[in-house]
Amino acid sequence: MNARPAKRVVMTLTVNGDTHELLVSPRQTLLDVIRGQLGLTGTKEGCATGTCGVCTINNAQGEAFLSCITPALEWDGQSVTTIEGLEGDGKLAPIQQAFVDYGAVQCGFCTPGVIMSAQGILNTFPRPTEDDINDGMAGVLCRCTGHIKVKEAIREVARKRS
Amino acid sequence: MHLPAHEFRKPDSLAESLAMLQNHPGEVKPVAGGTDVVFNMRGRLFQPDVLLSIRELPELQGVDATPGGGLRLGAGMRLTDLERAPESGAYPMLVQACRAVASRHVRNMATLGGNLCLDTRCWYTNQTAEWRQAKGPCLKNGVQACHAIQSSPVCVALNASDIAPALIALQARVTLASATGRRVLPLAEFYTDDGVRHTVRRPDELLVSVELPAPGDAGVFIKETARKGNDFSYGVVAAAGRWQGGKLSGLRLAVGSLTTRPTMLPGPARIAEAGGLSDAAIAEASAASRESLGALTNLYTPAAYKSVLLRTLVTRALEGLRGTQP
Repeated sequence: MNARPAKRVVMTLTVNGDTHELLVSPRQTLLDVIRGQLGLTGTKEGCATGTCGVCTINNAQGEAFLSCITPALEWDGQSVTTIEGLEGDGKLAPIQQAFVDYGAVQCGFCTPGVIMSAQGILNTFPRPTEDDINDGMAGVLCRCTGHIKVKEAIREVARKRS
Repeated sequence: MHLPAHEFRKPDSLAESLAMLQNHPGEVKPVAGGTDVVFNMRGRLFQPDVLLSIRELPELQGVDATPGGGLRLGAGMRLTDLERAPESGAYPMLVQACRAVASRHVRNMATLGGNLCLDTRCWYTNQTAEWRQAKGPCLKNGVQACHAIQSSPVCVALNASDIAPALIALQARVTLASATGRRVLPLAEFYTDDGVRHTVRRPDELLVSVELPAPGDAGVFIKETARKGNDFSYGVVAAAGRWQGGKLSGLRLAVGSLTTRPTMLPGPARIAEAGGLSDAAIAEASAASRESLGALTNLYTPAAYKSVLLRTLVTRALEGLRGTQP
């Protein structure tokens, strides 16, 4: 559609603690790089317009943000966490285990984005209130089921660690 | 789908950014959070030659006290940071308005300046490029045609900023910087009635900061939308004024999302204030708000609905303001 050439440039990106040097086109979003170049396909593309929240990953401060509307080059030199970065030593992160325990997963397509949104809340608030949870989850949509089991899982992680 | 081809630039300083805006050939589009600009690039509405990242410019960050007891807010502040800044607590309506914007995910990216400069929206233009091929380009693409309101000589796309009405009611001023100087103007005068060039910001200028007068005003902010947590507003109202000896004075009323410009409603505000916010005065102000706002369109919601929504929002805001009496 757009015939103008886009020169590729080298950027550095740290994903889940691993630093990569990548040749990236300005046309690529952070999501394109994470999925296409790094092969980390846990993060999904849903609406691709920053509405559904399925592409959610965490920034260096642990906050949730949308990788589908972030130009990849904007994140040069910075670090992010994706769904693949939550587990350690073959053991699920508390929020992942809570999703299993509470049946907070149905078809699973939105789950990486839902979990990274939930993790964003847990990273920001030591003891999230109901309002904090609603606020942090309103921007990610699940079309199979709802947020009830998801919220139970988040509350459980918050309760266990306090 | 990839973004349209462009060159991505990220200067280290405001001076370099302003020089690039002034001298670089082609269209240079400033971007901070990207939640509006990249969204519109996805839809091929924006196809700039250069994307100029101002997200991390230190000059656009932070909250400072002003000599007059007010605040200067960096336009590059993320809405999440603005909402949680201790200084913002003195302006409850600012915090409410920030929280009303989209979702936490978006607010973790989007900035104050970005929200104030948010592009106007229209149900014809804000579709995919393929969808727009049906009827072709419009005023937004430099063609004298409007496919939403056939007879309209100007673009009637709606302003979508939730924060603008709140900050207008709080009498905020904005600073625009260019390579040749700075100018300060009331936020109410920042907007125009043309959906294409919907602000007075020149292409070589950046909105660098927002200044708020000393706090102390009572305020009420209401956003009406389909679903809390992501949707653009159907209508927004903000009312503010100061209580002195049981009387509210200096009442300001502003509405947004209903027309191309976030608008002050001085007539209805005067009526409500003169009548001491009595039920009768509020009813009269609410009735007068329709005429005060001017023409309404059927964009996104029917004009008849907008008309009722406007009167309802004004009534609720004024009743809410009456309830803030200390």
